[in-house]
Amino acid sequence: MTAATLLVVLACLALAGWAALFVARDRAVVLRQLVGGGVVEGLLVLQALVLAVLAVRGDGPVAAPWEAWGYVLTQLLVLPVAAAWAFAERTRWSSVVLLVAALTVAFLQYRVLVLWGGA
Amino acid sequence: MTGASAARSAPGAGRPTGTGPGRALVAVYGVFALAATARAAFQIATELDRAPLAYALSALAAVVYVVATVALATDRRRAALVAVGVELVGVLVVGALSLAAPQDFPDETVWSGFGAGYGYVPLVLPVLGLLWLRRTRPARPGA
Repeated sequence: MTAATLLVVLACLALAGWAALFVARDRAVVLRQLVGGGVVEGLLVLQALVLAVLAVRGDGPVAAPWEAWGYVLTQLLVLPVAAAWAFAERTRWSSVVLLVAALTVAFLQYRVLVLWGGA
Repeated sequence: MTGASAARSAPGAGRPTGTGPGRALVAVYGVFALAATARAAFQIATELDRAPLAYALSALAAVVYVVATVALATDRRRAALVAVGVELVGVLVVGALSLAAPQDFPDETVWSGFGAGYGYVPLVLPVLGLLWLRRTRPARPGA
């Protein structure tokens, strides 16, 4: 679980770095970045499924299960909404939107890891 | 919505609040709307009795962020101004109270300690919001 979370965090940071590069170069988000965001989103869905299986087997969040599941489910919303919001803007500010979204998901992953007790 | 010719008095004057830099501002507001709503819903659903005042303020913060996000995204300037104004007052008052009377704030709200738990972004955000609303203010005829 820790290794898997680390993978998602690294993917988020890679996406954030890509977006930051575009901000620096005054470029708008391109379709390939949204595909990258889709890959991250796929990893998040996979993680949610794995966590659900673990929880069914009695290996759920250590404390505050409501809060833990809140993070797991809300983090699924961030990238799709941000992608739609960013892509309608054809300036560098769309890259800032993607940057914010990627960093947000990375932070939410950290919270998920903590709440799952590093399981 | 004002005539393009009248909106040339300052860069950005009269532009929709959800475009350009405003698009990034709305994104950050959206993150806080999500965070504050989730936190308030969780606190109220699970342990309202523990700290009713703090949790009521959490709910207020959530409403303020949601309204600010939607208003800025859809260029509703008056609603945005009210929400961002309440947000600035809220973060200052709750920030001060949480330090002066910590016993009434046993749990964190988004605005506790002037938003210290969120890297002080809640303190900076309303200032940016007000500056952005001023920057994009439609030029008045004759002004």
